[in-house]
Amino acid sequence: MVGAKSHKVLIFALMAGILAFFYLPIISLMVFSFNDSRSLTSWSGFSLQWYEALFKNREMMMAITTTLSIALMSTFVATILGTLAAIGVSKSKRLVKEIVLSVNNFPILNPEIVTAIGLMLLYSSLNIQKGYLTMLLAHIIFSTPYVILSVLPKLRRLDPDIAEAALDLGATPLEALWKVIVPMILPGIISGALIAFTMSFDDFVISYFVSGNGVKNISILVYTMSKRINPTINALSTILVVIITVVLLIVNLYPMLNKKKELKEAE
Amino acid sequence: MRKLIEFKNIVKSFDDSLVLKGINLSIHENEFVTLLGPSGCGKTTLLRILGGFISQNEGHVYFDDIEISNVPPYKREINTVFQRYALFPHMNVHDNIAFGLHIKKQDKQTIEQKVKKMLKLVNLQGYEDRPVTLLSGGQQQRVAIARALVNEPMVLLLDEPLGALDLKLRKEMQVELKKIQQEVGITFIYVTHDQEEALTMSDTIVVMNNGEIQQIGSPTDIYNEPENRFVADFIGESNILEGVMVEDYKVKFDDQTFECVDYGFEDNLEVDIVLRPEDIDIVPLEMGRIKGVIKSTIFKGVHFEVVVETPYREWIIHTTDKVELDKEVGLHFFPEDIHIMYKMGSY
Repeated sequence: MVGAKSHKVLIFALMAGILAFFYLPIISLMVFSFNDSRSLTSWSGFSLQWYEALFKNREMMMAITTTLSIALMSTFVATILGTLAAIGVSKSKRLVKEIVLSVNNFPILNPEIVTAIGLMLLYSSLNIQKGYLTMLLAHIIFSTPYVILSVLPKLRRLDPDIAEAALDLGATPLEALWKVIVPMILPGIISGALIAFTMSFDDFVISYFVSGNGVKNISILVYTMSKRINPTINALSTILVVIITVVLLIVNLYPMLNKKKELKEAE
Repeated sequence: MRKLIEFKNIVKSFDDSLVLKGINLSIHENEFVTLLGPSGCGKTTLLRILGGFISQNEGHVYFDDIEISNVPPYKREINTVFQRYALFPHMNVHDNIAFGLHIKKQDKQTIEQKVKKMLKLVNLQGYEDRPVTLLSGGQQQRVAIARALVNEPMVLLLDEPLGALDLKLRKEMQVELKKIQQEVGITFIYVTHDQEEALTMSDTIVVMNNGEIQQIGSPTDIYNEPENRFVADFIGESNILEGVMVEDYKVKFDDQTFECVDYGFEDNLEVDIVLRPEDIDIVPLEMGRIKGVIKSTIFKGVHFEVVVETPYREWIIHTTDKVELDKEVGLHFFPEDIHIMYKMGSY
């Protein structure tokens, strides 16, 4: 009995240690973003001055705007592209389906740096001026596969007669898509969109290589500023962490809430 | 009755297999037509061609004398009840039924009126707000029928709609479907592999096998005058034997010549002969021209199914009288009970 108990304590300690190892740096970063002094190690009192400084800093505000606008736009486009692609794939023959899915998995499994350099070389060879548009395009490219992967399982569970039933009742193919298919696969589309948003929001490697002309997102800005000690980075990072955490919570809780709702309806 | 639909020489193949081998068929107004055949005979394919979900490789489909082969499903005045209902799970009963009317942008009041009328027709008043996922199979079936009929189509297609229901519910729905068809007065085209269902409900039965029509006729025609061995075998139980048509009104089988009512065959033509089990009587040994021994008898509720063994074959006989096992008996039938058929090419 004693042995089993100490065993449990050991496991608990190990887990606490691992969690601390993962999250203490982030927690310390967040705590010191409210520090009164410049120091990143000694606490001298609560203050919001770094947040003030952040919101006064034009460069940082630009980066935040860039990040948010690119995340929103790339999510929007990737969600539509990915959903349509998934619907197309689900209706294709097996061979086509397998080829498209393998190609789709490639950017996900591929090291980001390879995608980044590939895109950079592509833009250079086509003589495209790197900047906001190239970054937006790259974000659409790397987040679309996640939408496809998230929508496909929903389509697989769809009764193939459903679309025909809609056509049969007088709906044009577009109406059938919009009024019947999309509502039925909506949970997959939403979680795909949320994943696309987080992927875009915190991307550094690809953004760094495909951007230029002074266009920076938050990750690039933090990277260029990290050489000097500047607690505004802490403030910015805290905001980033909070946003990502919220989105991830939604991504993970959404299916659960959905299931609960279904169960409730079933009663 | 006016001719409403005409199939002309419909050929359809999937990959390399020929599913429909030149179908010619006319369907009339207000007719309850059943496409009957074993699975894989092409009946569902023919229905899907009419619905517009697949297109034929050759041939034409006419609706009201207009070729509709290139008309998409959403522009055809035809609605379908799918095998697994295909209700929209994210909508309640009301919205499922109203779907087609919403698409046609009818005004709210009309929609409410029509939905209400349909719910009454299929006996689902008060179910408007139920999610369809919570309905029983029979109720989902009714919603599917209402959802199709509310659009006031000229033709309703039903693809084995009762297949998923249990026996008792199926019988109830058969009667109800027939009633609904008479009430709304439109053409129903019904696909099934269940011969009893076909006999119960149809005005016309189209028996199909291997992508070909075997026989078109009323239920009594199909049952009493099967065109060939396949139809006789598929519709009900029968004794099918081979024989020779000696001359008009005379057929020879089991080394005896019998009188029959069929004529117009070539003399000495080899033919198939059908004798329905309920048309054969078991009589005392000396009174029958065919003699055999009772080999088994099974109680079937209304009748006994008796197997009588003769030197040539085993006969299946339905009788309400109890018979003794191993007893030698005679078999008797009348000339009109003998039904002669041309041999099928494939047999």
